[in-house]
Amino acid sequence: MPEQQSGDHGDACGHTAKDGQTDVYTKTVGDTSEGGDAKPITRHACYSSISRATTDKTYSNARFRGGGSAKPPSQSKSPTASSPSGQINSPETLSQASQSSTSLAPKLSPLPNSPSLAQSIGVEDTSNMSGDEIIGSYHLPRPLPLWLNPQYAKHIVKGNFMTLSARPKTVEPGEWIAHQVVDHYRLLWNFVRVLHEKEEDGSTICNQTTCPRMSAGSNHSFTWLNSRREPVELPAYEYMTLMQRWISGKIDDDKMFPTDPSGISYAHNPSITTTPLSQLSNPGEPEWPGKRSGFPEKFIDVCQMIFRQMFRVYAHLYWAHFAEPFYHLNLEKQLNSCFSHFVLTATALDMLKPAELEPMQPLIDLWAANGTFPPESKAYEYANIKAGQRLLEMAGFPTQ
Amino acid sequence: MDPNRLHLNFDSSQQRLPVPNDRAYPTTPSTFPQPVLPPGQQQQGGGLHPQQQQQQYAQQQYAPQGYFAQNNQQYAPQYAGQQLDDRNAQYQPRSNTPGNDPNQGLAHQFSHQNLGGAARNAAYARGPSPGQRPRTAGSGGQQPSYDRYANAPPVPSPASAPVHEFQQAPERNPDRYGSNANSNQKKCSQLAADFFRDSVKRARERNQRQSELEQKLQDPQQNPARREQLWSTAGRKEAQYLRFLRTKDKPENYNTVKIIGKGAFGEVKLVQKKGDGKVYAMKSLIKTEMFKKDQLAHVRSERDILAESDSPWVVKLYTTFQDSYFLYMLMEFLPGGDLMTMLIKYEIFSEDITRFYIAEIVLAIDAVHKLGFIHRDIKPDNILLDRGGHVKLTDFGLSTGFHKLHDNNYYQQLLQGRSNRPRDRSSVAIDQINLTVSNRSQINDWRRSRRLMAYSTVGTPDYIAPEIFTGHGYTFDCDWWSLGTIMFECLVGWPPFCAEDSHDTYRKIVNWRQTLYFPDDITLGAEAENLIRSMVCNTENRLGRGGAQELKNHAFFRGVDFDSLRRIRAPFEPRLTSNIDTTYFPTDEIDQTDNATMLKAQAIQQGRTAPVEESPEMSLPFIGYTFKRFDNNFR
Repeated sequence: MPEQQSGDHGDACGHTAKDGQTDVYTKTVGDTSEGGDAKPITRHACYSSISRATTDKTYSNARFRGGGSAKPPSQSKSPTASSPSGQINSPETLSQASQSSTSLAPKLSPLPNSPSLAQSIGVEDTSNMSGDEIIGSYHLPRPLPLWLNPQYAKHIVKGNFMTLSARPKTVEPGEWIAHQVVDHYRLLWNFVRVLHEKEEDGSTICNQTTCPRMSAGSNHSFTWLNSRREPVELPAYEYMTLMQRWISGKIDDDKMFPTDPSGISYAHNPSITTTPLSQLSNPGEPEWPGKRSGFPEKFIDVCQMIFRQMFRVYAHLYWAHFAEPFYHLNLEKQLNSCFSHFVLTATALDMLKPAELEPMQPLIDLWAANGTFPPESKAYEYANIKAGQRLLEMAGFPTQ
Repeated sequence: MDPNRLHLNFDSSQQRLPVPNDRAYPTTPSTFPQPVLPPGQQQQGGGLHPQQQQQQYAQQQYAPQGYFAQNNQQYAPQYAGQQLDDRNAQYQPRSNTPGNDPNQGLAHQFSHQNLGGAARNAAYARGPSPGQRPRTAGSGGQQPSYDRYANAPPVPSPASAPVHEFQQAPERNPDRYGSNANSNQKKCSQLAADFFRDSVKRARERNQRQSELEQKLQDPQQNPARREQLWSTAGRKEAQYLRFLRTKDKPENYNTVKIIGKGAFGEVKLVQKKGDGKVYAMKSLIKTEMFKKDQLAHVRSERDILAESDSPWVVKLYTTFQDSYFLYMLMEFLPGGDLMTMLIKYEIFSEDITRFYIAEIVLAIDAVHKLGFIHRDIKPDNILLDRGGHVKLTDFGLSTGFHKLHDNNYYQQLLQGRSNRPRDRSSVAIDQINLTVSNRSQINDWRRSRRLMAYSTVGTPDYIAPEIFTGHGYTFDCDWWSLGTIMFECLVGWPPFCAEDSHDTYRKIVNWRQTLYFPDDITLGAEAENLIRSMVCNTENRLGRGGAQELKNHAFFRGVDFDSLRRIRAPFEPRLTSNIDTTYFPTDEIDQTDNATMLKAQAIQQGRTAPVEESPEMSLPFIGYTFKRFDNNFR
């Protein structure tokens, strides 16, 4: 297991850069990728985490590295964390508590109301907090960002997006996840292209000066891990370029995302499928989503990583680029629709945990309150509805 | 920047009112996401009323997609969506997994969503349109939404003080970004809209398939083994489709068997898919030619109509893809060849045989019209015969939804200029008036040359209705004119306005009153001649103007059972030795050089391949061209 994990690690470092060049999207960022390669620290960087959140990183390791045995000792706070760290403690721990991961428990600092918070960050646990208090706990800049104004949190589509991300009952789960990963990746990169493509004078909208860090507001910035697994801060532009190569390297890898039409399978349904599952696979062997469709064992981990990385990109787009350029270019509704669909999908498929949503929590709250997220969705469950309702009120939007 | 932008954008909140939306998308189950506004509309067009906007929306933006356009079309088929609704309705009570079942959610939503949605939407839209309030940017301290709120009478208690809770929205100014950013903006907006449109369509079709499956599984007669088989087959088909969706298709996945057609913009090949050996017709169009000749709208309309239709009368399009040089359309292969080849071979048809083909073409044209398209280019070359010898229409390159295309100018030029066009036909001098049985040999020369004509850029104008190139506007009935000329050709042996070059043909068509002439030595039934004259006439008097029923009721078709026409045996059934038999294609007359391969090789030689800026799907004019139908191989 650890071997496999480290193998994955190396694979991610080694191959993505190369494979990425054959990918569709690489061309848009070709120049930068060379720049990225020139930097020794970024060359092998293939793993990243929320820099400031120590426990979150531990969590990441647990999820993606198979136990975190290889956890680097230096994975503590990155420079970015220092300034507002005092303030941001509570929302962060709030969401981390919701992971309900026992292994994390000792590492968590004690919380005043952690017992109840530990179950969920949803409505019941914040029942003694007002919408204002919850919003306050997010330590958002004031006035609130433009994208939290319900006026600008609208969509190009209306209706229940769940129908787009709910797995068809006959479809084997791994196949469905693969489909969603690819769709969302293609969708997201339409927006990144706007930021990344060079104008004739060589300038890009997102660059070293505008975004020296891969940030999501002043509270969050994401670091890449270099070859020594030290977190490294990179300009957002480089971070996203590296990430794109990593993701496209995975998606285009026929072993990770098989495309052979004959390799497919179907969902097991005990009430209909008379052949017991045990006969479909050798007893005693490990099972995983996608196994019967030819997806490798680490497929789910990779997909979770991809979703997490894409989430970071979205977070950066909202925090750093919502107004410039998306609002100016009349793309904010498109962005909203794509991101809300992304959150619905990622949560429904358990590709993102509640804690990981933190940088965008208030928008998720808002979308739960304004009906974008249907009440039966996990995204809704992860939202603080009162905070969302409060945001609606602030903007003069009637709450339901 | 401009007030319209801001205004319209805000105006979209009105679009969320449930009533107009219901009107615009009557067949859409409310559970499926629906576009709030076409992205293009946000930026173009002035402050239209929502309804006007929707109309515009349906007609301009998405007219080819029946799903959005149905309600606004004369020929709109209303039943498709209703069927779906019915199915959903039937299906609802059967869902017995309350928790995570998407279909249960669907049923649940179905009963509540309208109410909830309406309440929500009303909440958003209540009060005056934000578009009507003073522009906020730079308008002093007033908070936009608060301002709006303050004007809204029925809203419950205000919750907050009018302070700067949110950052002020800057004045939108796309011009602060460069041309690449603005071009990417268009791509992004288009692709996002396409994504949701396609995804909704797929989800809807998926749910329909699922409910069909459930229905079969419910059947008590079904034994467990059969049930399991139904389930696994359904799951496999869905999985194959999902894999197909995330895989890029490319011409290298197919082996060329033969080139079965060639034209100015590309060629049509009979191909076999590597791996499964399935046979298709692959049309490849040269991108640069399409650009140069301004054919992009045509390609797009063809792709749209074929992608949208599921009619037995229309050639099925399985998928479209592209590389840097070509657009590819993978279509069903119809081994029977086309009507042009038939006419070249047999010269004339008997009235009975003519009746069969004309009756089938009536139904085929009607099917195209019901999809909301005018074909505009109905001619024998575009009428294909399937393996049973029945008719299917193809080549929708000139088809138009509602917008009138730019070829009017082109035709005008042709009309005004002298005959300085390159001689399209062979140099045989044919004055149609003098054609009699006695000089049929000349006609045979013409007949042989017409294939060359068919492959030329210009195409033959023989079957085009006069109103199309006089530029005074045309409508669906122009296709019935074409049918009249084809019927003439079937019975007489040449098209009525046949002339030595295109220019003279145009002249003759415009002066059809003088030039339409039935040769004395060919006896036509009175009813046949009457039907031809009822179609080849001015549009005001043209039969079919009031719908295909007018034609079906004509005495010439007495005794024809239109409903079962496609099920009876065709007068001519292709005899085939294999699934790649091209007997009915004049492959020996077609240069078998594979231009695609050659062009590519040339390009590589000249080093033109190297700096492809990004994936070919991403070049703006071709965005949204790529298409993938579910039942490719799967049904």
